[in-house]
Amino acid sequence: MRLSDIFFYALGAIKLRKLRAGLTMLGVIIGIAAMVALLSITQGLQAAITSQLQRGLATDTLVVSAGGGFGGGNSRFSLLVNDTNIIDSIQNVTVSLAVIQRVGYIKCGEQAIRITIVGINFAAYKEIYSSTFMAEDGEIPVNPEDDVIVIGKRVNLPWNNETAFCRTGDHVEILWTNTTARPLKNETYTGRVVAVLREVGGFSIGGPSDSSVYIPLERAITFFGTDKCEMIIVKLKDDNKATIDGVSKAIKKAFGGEAAVTSSTALLNVLSDVFATVELFLAGIAAISLLVAGIGIMNIMIVSTMERIREIGILKALGMRSRTVLLIFLSEAIIIGILGAIIGVGAGYVLAQVAVRIFGGDMSFAGQGAAVRGAIIITPVLTPNVIIGAVVFGLLVSVVFGLYPAWKASKLRPVEALRYE
Amino acid sequence: MAVIVEAVELKKTYMLGKVPVEALRGVNLKVEEGEFLSILGPSGSGKSTLLNLIGALDKPTGGKLYIEGVDTATLSDGQLADLRRKIGFVFQFFNLIPRLTALQNVELPMAIAGLSGIERRKRAEELLETVGLGDRKNHKPSELSGGQQQRVAIARALANNPRFLLMDEPTGNIDSKSAHEIIQLVKRLNIEQKVTVIMVTHDQKLAMEAVRTLHMLDGYIVKETLN
Ligand SMILES: Nc1ncnc2c1ncn2[C@@H]1O[C@H](COP(=O)(O)OP(=O)(O)O)[C@@H](O)[C@H]1O
Ligand SMILES: [Mg+2]
Repeated sequence: MRLSDIFFYALGAIKLRKLRAGLTMLGVIIGIAAMVALLSITQGLQAAITSQLQRGLATDTLVVSAGGGFGGGNSRFSLLVNDTNIIDSIQNVTVSLAVIQRVGYIKCGEQAIRITIVGINFAAYKEIYSSTFMAEDGEIPVNPEDDVIVIGKRVNLPWNNETAFCRTGDHVEILWTNTTARPLKNETYTGRVVAVLREVGGFSIGGPSDSSVYIPLERAITFFGTDKCEMIIVKLKDDNKATIDGVSKAIKKAFGGEAAVTSSTALLNVLSDVFATVELFLAGIAAISLLVAGIGIMNIMIVSTMERIREIGILKALGMRSRTVLLIFLSEAIIIGILGAIIGVGAGYVLAQVAVRIFGGDMSFAGQGAAVRGAIIITPVLTPNVIIGAVVFGLLVSVVFGLYPAWKASKLRPVEALRYE
Repeated sequence: MAVIVEAVELKKTYMLGKVPVEALRGVNLKVEEGEFLSILGPSGSGKSTLLNLIGALDKPTGGKLYIEGVDTATLSDGQLADLRRKIGFVFQFFNLIPRLTALQNVELPMAIAGLSGIERRKRAEELLETVGLGDRKNHKPSELSGGQQQRVAIARALANNPRFLLMDEPTGNIDSKSAHEIIQLVKRLNIEQKVTVIMVTHDQKLAMEAVRTLHMLDGYIVKETLN
């Protein structure tokens, strides 16, 4: 029998029991859709985070913070602004820069919005983040006068529309509450906006952020009344692993093991490891649902062969070989499997888009010290690998679970099959 | 004339659990090409068992069966399947595939034999014309009377130009008028198209329509008559 005839014969048998085939297929669709949705979301998330990290913090930089890194901080050790001198003397370090930051408000006219106030050396920051610490409007002064302020894009346009909150040239007030003073004391810094940064997007470690305002380091020291800094950003000669590891070690040693050193490259590696694990885990869960779908296929195919024993007898009496009978029944399983997989890929992608709209969009990450902050937009990624993988998996499941019933059907002896009522 | 089917001491014993049922106890027969032969016997005498063996639907438990001189015991399952393509089988209960139209049912054996869609459609239409159902080709079996269904079955049996036609109680399930039409059709096919026919029945009158009749009883052929 020709393969095309086998296919159409199988298709005809499926069409006869549309509802049943549809329900069986639904099992496959759900399994594949779950797999595709989960994978395309995690891959999208991974792509988003990776690209943001690569953009937000150059791979040739390290971030030094006081003890513990994320969440730590019981230690009495603190980094001082002048510690940059120690770090600058380490081999392979190009430049280092202290960051003092506080959460506060910026007031322009009658309105105020919440922001992060960051004190940095403008020239050094510009050198390290040459692609992101860039003015869209105005100019970032290299030797800033006392009262200058540089604002992030979201401070300029906080409401996702054309209405500006404040712009270059505006005189504004920056406020923060000194919680260590008793009674609590509100401090005010009056200044002039000299530049609006280009949109950075996403989040970064130490790098420029859309929702921050920047003031010169010396002013921050007096404004915040401290010479302790939250982090020191270190630019290296290159981003070789040896350089990163060597400098990290040297910095830890210089601070007696109290300082935490974060490298974006190391973070990226850890992240991609984590993502690989998460992906495997999610794919595993989805695979279980496909297993269930496979058992559904097997169940339905067994019922189908039982119902069609007489038909099999007729086919054999007409000279059909056992192998062809097997192929017909296997084709039925495969048609259900492949069709289910294809629909499942589409449904999974739609599901991923919907899920991202509902749960995604603004995912915020907040931390202390070497803070990761900002928002990332996840775009589900549907790679050809995922598509091919899903279809192959659907095929595999249908073949594996369709094989036994098909084999049973093919083994029926013609006389007995014909006698069957 | 060439001998097309030959049975020598052919035996078939079924096992009903542990009890052996001897359906054929040693059948000897020869069928010549172009013959119209009937096998007559009461129910349970072993007629269907014999026909199933000749049709390669089952295997004997003793004796020899030669089809066109080939000992069927030497054939593999695949070769037996191929042999069935050269044998036209007509059953008491028609055994058409319900979801296929008359035309598709007639095309089926040709599809199994690997003919192309165009070839088999043309032949299936001709065959339905021959059995007088040219205007019913797109009807499903459920939309046809018993007599019409059996005519579709005959057309299907003839599809691959079989070496012989095996009919097991072909009129057993249809009204007498249709039965008469069927038997006239079979006779016409035998005379005009030289189709060899072996027909099994328990109906004496029907058996007499054939040229030669073998009488069966309790798994033996006990008598032979020419009509
Ligand atoms: N598959 C089977 N298993 C057990 N006994 C069978 C089977 N087929 C037929 N028989 C027995 O063999 C004998 C002959 O049956 P069968 O060839 O169908 O007779 P007929 O067609 O002449 O009525 C009967 O006694 C019947 O019960
Ligand atoms: Mg019988």
